[in-house]
Amino acid sequence: MIKRKLILIMENKPGALVRVVGLFHQRGYNIETLHVDSVKDFSTYKDIEKKLETKFEDNQISRLTIETMVSDDLMRQILRQLNKLIDVIAVSNEETTYLKGVLLDENLL
Amino acid sequence: MQALHDEGVELIFGYPGGAALHIYDAIFRQDKIDHILVRHEQGATHAADGYSRATGKPGVVLVTSGPGATNAITGIATAFMDSIPMVVISGQVASHLIGTDAFQETDMIGVSRPIVKHSYTVFNAEEIPKIIKEAFYVATSGRPGPVVIDIPKDMTAPDNLFDYSYPEEARIRSYNPPIEPEQNQIDRAVEAILISKKPVIYAGGGAIASNAEKELLELNEIIDAPVTNTLMGLGIYPASHDRFLGMLGMHGTYQANMAMHNADLIIAIGARFDDRITNKPSKFAPNAKVVHLDVDHSSVSKIIEANVAVFGQVKNSLKLIKETLEKKLDSYDPFVLQPWHDQIKEWKSLHGLNYELYKDESDDHPILPQAVVQHVHEITNGEAYVTSDVGQHQMFAAQYYHFDKPRRWINSGGLGTMGFGLPAAMGVKLAFPKDEVVCITGEGSIQMCIQELSTCLQYNLPIKIININNEALGMVKQWQDMNYGGRHSESTYQNSLPDFIKLAESYGHVGIKITKNSDLSESLKKAFAMKDKLVFVDIYVDPSEHVYPMQVANGSLENMWLSKDEQT
Ligand SMILES: Cc1ncc(C[n+]2csc(CCOP(=O)(O)OP(=O)(O)O)c2C)c(N)n1
Ligand SMILES: [Mg+2]
Repeated sequence: MIKRKLILIMENKPGALVRVVGLFHQRGYNIETLHVDSVKDFSTYKDIEKKLETKFEDNQISRLTIETMVSDDLMRQILRQLNKLIDVIAVSNEETTYLKGVLLDENLL
Repeated sequence: MQALHDEGVELIFGYPGGAALHIYDAIFRQDKIDHILVRHEQGATHAADGYSRATGKPGVVLVTSGPGATNAITGIATAFMDSIPMVVISGQVASHLIGTDAFQETDMIGVSRPIVKHSYTVFNAEEIPKIIKEAFYVATSGRPGPVVIDIPKDMTAPDNLFDYSYPEEARIRSYNPPIEPEQNQIDRAVEAILISKKPVIYAGGGAIASNAEKELLELNEIIDAPVTNTLMGLGIYPASHDRFLGMLGMHGTYQANMAMHNADLIIAIGARFDDRITNKPSKFAPNAKVVHLDVDHSSVSKIIEANVAVFGQVKNSLKLIKETLEKKLDSYDPFVLQPWHDQIKEWKSLHGLNYELYKDESDDHPILPQAVVQHVHEITNGEAYVTSDVGQHQMFAAQYYHFDKPRRWINSGGLGTMGFGLPAAMGVKLAFPKDEVVCITGEGSIQMCIQELSTCLQYNLPIKIININNEALGMVKQWQDMNYGGRHSESTYQNSLPDFIKLAESYGHVGIKITKNSDLSESLKKAFAMKDKLVFVDIYVDPSEHVYPMQVANGSLENMWLSKDEQT
């Protein structure tokens, strides 16, 4: 097990963060560090906006960085579980990104 | 209420209380949606769930805050585990009281969070139409599941007016469940099928959720593989079909488990390799490649690694696989499967389901629970909707009521909720008043939601309750017999069972008691002949009977107990 970093962006809605954290807790994955920002600069997310045919507005999106100790298999399962949460827009480890159900072989975040 | 009507809702199951009273007043002042008043909120959720499983439409529940909401939790968890679409509207204390420990305040969103697909709180009354639209969309699309909408009382106050319009469609930019599979995944699945000599199709509840029975049947007219179903998938492939192996898993048939264990290809369709299926995952089907069709990414390669994953509505995936396979028929010869079919035939003849092999119905023996199910099957021509509870009776029903159509077998597979059967049967009967609805239950389970007998009287729901009475928590007792040296800790009632006949009568229904083999057939026929009465048939069966086959713990699929003293 090594320390791994996950990045995800999600709708800034009440309860969204609890769902992410709850998922870790419920399945016994430990969070080492957690960082949440409200996104102001959307330039990194142009691709995502295009793919989702949407435009992000101020205060709509949060970016989470989570560090956790898990095995490879668990990492994949965590990615998929997070991707399933309705308010999560995209989730990425260093190599792959889930953008709403679609697995992309690149780190979009 | 207007929004629910605009969504196409016809039926709500619920129970009123302070925080929901504005909504209840709106129910009183309209006549488009029927409301069924249950006797316990758990009953409302199971009834909505049964309605949904039988019709494919989402079930709708309305409860008040606090205890009303928490009573609904078991039913929400039941629906969640089996991916059943349901929308639960819970009243909440008024916005300004939230967080003050107000009377009947419970954080319903927090309490239900791990057992819902998603949830909403209404912060502005104007959002109600949009939230309801979204909630139904989320509940019914992708991998379905329950959605909770928590509505503070002031949001439904009659003076809280707004310009109403109902959205035509729900679009959630962060939610986009897969529908059409990708062709390259289909091609890889077809390749695997073409080279397989020992394929098995393993179909579960996801195939039913996707209404894929026609596509599955058509695809297998080409492949000609043996088919097994999970407990949740029974009916998706006709039980009377030559290629049907029966259910697999913990209490699956000998031939189904042997076929899975020895297969070279497993085509999993809307099934999730749960621990009641695989036994020990590291010993599971050692020589099989796995092609997994599912709508949910997180179900694939979770327990058993898939060699080919096909994401999308399984109905669409099956159709595409068939079309692609048809173009390659020159290289497919179904006769290469003949040795495999011969092998399966041999397994079938070696150990069919036990009771079918030694039928004895003289009065020298107590009634066997399997016989009860077989008689019910015969009397209802195999066409009834059968709901069940949890325990031995549930497994006997699954094994011996051979389902030819999907959505007829209605049971709590994932959570295993005792108390599910009767309220679920109410939901089914309300959806299909002309069809036969049977609840096969046990004397333990039926007592967990027995109060709904009163609801059945109020709405005239002539369900047939078949109480397989072994005077014990039979499944618990079986485990104690097999694993705990026969120490029956707290699994019997020491002669404290109620008189179910009088109980049924006091609720205004008919009760029939059966204790002898020679009465079984006649008395059951009599019960089913009373078309417009709820009949509670209390049948005393052999309390020492066990469910077999049963997998040997931590073994592979081929390690089974076949009877009390016979192991594979
Ligand atoms: C709500 C709930 N509590 C406990 C259990 C554990 N449990 C599983 S089967 C069973 C016994 C059920 O007894 P009965 O309904 O009489 O069925 P039988 O096995 O005797 O046919 C119990 C207690 C459960 N599944 N659900
Ligand atoms: Mg019992």
